[in-house]
Amino acid sequence: MPPSPLTLLASPTFLLTTAFALLLALTLRLLAILPPRPRRTAPRRIGDPTRLLVVLGSGGHTAEMLSALRQLDTQKYTRRTYVVSSGDAFSARKADEFERGLETRGGGDGKGKGNTGAGAYDIAVVPRARRVHQSLLTAPWSAGRCLWACFGVLRVSGKNGDVVGQEYDYPDLILTNGPATAVIVILAAYILRFFDVGGANSRGKMRTIYMESWARVTTLSLSGKLLLWVLKADRMLVQWEQLKGMGGRAEFLGVLV
Amino acid sequence: MSLQGKKASKKLCFVTVGATASFNSLISATLHPQFLDALSKAGYTNLLVQYGKDGKAVFDKLTSELDGLAGHGIAIDGFDFNRDGLDQELKAAKGLPENSEGVVISHAGSGTILAVLRIDVPLVVVPNEDLLDNHQVELAKVLEEQGYVIYGRLEDLPATIAKSEELRIRHKSWPPVNSGAHRQARGLAGVMDEEMGFLD
Repeated sequence: MPPSPLTLLASPTFLLTTAFALLLALTLRLLAILPPRPRRTAPRRIGDPTRLLVVLGSGGHTAEMLSALRQLDTQKYTRRTYVVSSGDAFSARKADEFERGLETRGGGDGKGKGNTGAGAYDIAVVPRARRVHQSLLTAPWSAGRCLWACFGVLRVSGKNGDVVGQEYDYPDLILTNGPATAVIVILAAYILRFFDVGGANSRGKMRTIYMESWARVTTLSLSGKLLLWVLKADRMLVQWEQLKGMGGRAEFLGVLV
Repeated sequence: MSLQGKKASKKLCFVTVGATASFNSLISATLHPQFLDALSKAGYTNLLVQYGKDGKAVFDKLTSELDGLAGHGIAIDGFDFNRDGLDQELKAAKGLPENSEGVVISHAGSGTILAVLRIDVPLVVVPNEDLLDNHQVELAKVLEEQGYVIYGRLEDLPATIAKSEELRIRHKSWPPVNSGAHRQARGLAGVMDEEMGFLD
């Protein structure tokens, strides 16, 4: 008697084949979205609306990041989103100060003109991925909440996002320098890219740059290791020559802060 | 006079030719009216020249000639050399404890260069081109490439004063100056632009 279709579906061979096919599809998809991703072939025009997402880790991370961005050209990066962790009033205040600095910068190079002020940036607050001393048992829960919030931040802009006549979708570029929240933001970006939600991947959105802290001379931070070997930020920048070439791709371009 | 900055604050340019070889051309270059004008414009009040054991004649002659020329407003002093080292003079050039930071103009002796770099006063290195086998030129060049010093040439010494003011600003503004190949690198902005597809 021939086996019924149902028993055929439940047969070990079929399950193994299915599992294998799925695994293959997932691997191929991961390979497709993880670096090295091809660079944009079409040059971007200065003045086209863009969205830059900057993750502000905390104290020193925030200070380093804003220092590295002090020459930011608002003609190129027309809209900025700063992601801060809940309770990190310092970083939020620094981001506001930084933006006020861009606004009043002026200067003969024209970089300070336009695309500044209240409508040009927003500060998005996400729950902490893990508080200091938080039990590891509850960490997955808070990390999950953080991840969920990150999806929201990536898909739309946060507070001040109600700018009339301007719509922003995914960030074009994500800039991080740790710590944990940065990893969660990038994880969220990769999940969206993996499933190409809203063309997240096919439109070349959410390229990622990780800048290792200037305080890391000979070893990478945990975030750095994760983003170098597991989640693979598109670009890995280190600030000390001793870290150059880590994972075969860490770039050393001198001190950036 | 065009004294800038705080009133009554001393700003010293310290010139040292070292102890071993004479370097009279450096002494003449620093006692030139154009050089004194450059100092005056940059707010200097004092010029101190360590002229070495053979330099006294040149120093005395030139300072007496300069006495006839009023207007630069720089107080000039000199001495042959100091057995105890140049710590006192370097501190004075640094402006310690309460004066403005000045500049050191030095022959390219590595001992002097290290001492000045450690005390962190802007340094103009002028290699003595009269010396044979001049490895000091190489040292001055590589240190200038790395952004630590200014390589001064006798013929355009007045211009190095303005350059030393830039060096001071660069050294005072964080981060430390990138050296070598990375000095001109576009850093984070360059990488961001590459990822975004902004081509300059």
